Amino acid sequence: MIRLMGAVLLAAGCGYLGVQAAENLRRRSRSLSEMARALALVEGELELGSPPLGQLLERVAGRCSGPAKALLEACAQGLDRLDQEDFSALWRRKVAQLEELGEEGRAALAPLGDILGRYDGQAQREGTQVVRRTLEMLARRWEEERRRQGRVYQVLGLSGGAFLAILLL
Amino acid sequence: MQKTTATQAFCQAVRAMPVRLQHEALALGEEEQGRVEELRLRTGWPMTALLPEGERALGGAPVERRELEQLLEIASQASIHTVLDQVRRGYLTIQGGHRIGLCGTASMEKGQIHTLRSLSSASIRIARQKKGVCTPVLDGLCPEGRLADTLILSPPGQGKTTLLRDLIRAVSWGEGCRPQRVSLADERGEVAALFRGVPQLEVGPRTDVVEGCPKAQGLMLLLRAMNPQVLAVDEITAPEDVAALEMAAGCGVTLLATAHGAGRDDLERRPVYRALMEKRLFHFCVQIERSGETRSYHIEELR
Repeated sequence: MIRLMGAVLLAAGCGYLGVQAAENLRRRSRSLSEMARALALVEGELELGSPPLGQLLERVAGRCSGPAKALLEACAQGLDRLDQEDFSALWRRKVAQLEELGEEGRAALAPLGDILGRYDGQAQREGTQVVRRTLEMLARRWEEERRRQGRVYQVLGLSGGAFLAILLL
Repeated sequence: MQKTTATQAFCQAVRAMPVRLQHEALALGEEEQGRVEELRLRTGWPMTALLPEGERALGGAPVERRELEQLLEIASQASIHTVLDQVRRGYLTIQGGHRIGLCGTASMEKGQIHTLRSLSSASIRIARQKKGVCTPVLDGLCPEGRLADTLILSPPGQGKTTLLRDLIRAVSWGEGCRPQRVSLADERGEVAALFRGVPQLEVGPRTDVVEGCPKAQGLMLLLRAMNPQVLAVDEITAPEDVAALEMAAGCGVTLLATAHGAGRDDLERRPVYRALMEKRLFHFCVQIERSGETRSYHIEELR
């Protein structure tokens, strides 16, 4: 009985790892999409009237979710400490903490801190647009990857677990 | 010991600087902090403080260009796009009404300054409002308990804007006269110093301010939009300003304005002001005379 239970647990554990790997792909694609959507909102705000950066970040943070919301809220709060850390450094530091975006996503997003609030409205909008398009492209690529690899990871996890269970029984 | 208002103003202005420079400025004694008129930052030189007796280096490390950029970022709350117009004019107003003057390499577009690239120096002028300076003239300017059309006249640096601001505040509150709605055309933001829509220098509860547009246009906007009882403007300089004031006077609005000039004779010699005097728009002219730290006011009846 104990051996059977052990085998079931092993199979379930391996299956879980497979599902988790597929889920990671899905989460990355979703995070990149959310971030791109947040940047589209930033562009919209800049188009409407170029509000002060703090107001812009708070407004957009209130209309998005996930890592985008966390990033924008943290940066809006950080504006109170500009005498200690400039906005560009603050943005880069907060972007570096966004594991969900992956290395490429973080690399695409980090330079936006050098543009936001530093140029006139149009230049900021254009800079944001470039970053948004890169993120959308990455999100599509990860979505493709998820479709291609997601099921493979799930099947591999489950069948690997079953194989180990049979081997050990 | 409780900090004086002058020291509080100093501390507030200092917060616009990067941390290193803040510490350097705050190392001044409290009495000196209350007397500092300006802090001056020049790339490659230590920060200096402008006191009534002269400019004095604070002895710290030379200011870096990066620190000037940081100053601009802090002052604009990382929103340089919202203060570009002010940067083009060479100064920006921060919370508290303090003014940051900027210098650097100008970038031109269509013959106009587009922005300042590469900042070279900055001066932080500490705003300190003097409430009550209008008390000696208030009775004379309000013969029937209401402010009459008044022109404040003096050479630069004698305290015209300070007196104008205090008169606006007093009339708006109804101090020594009947309270009235005041509309102020504050082209350069020197009177009310709006910051995010809030006057940083007190101009009273019944005062509406338009800032950043040419005086004549501002006066007409206020006349159309705010139904003022008193229309105030700092420094009449152009024929359009006179025309706008003339139109306002025709609408039954009381005028309160300032002009550069040594005296009535001086005004009558200059074409813009000659027209103003000929049209007899003002009832009273207040002339300011300064001797050291004290000022005296002389009221002359014009009509």
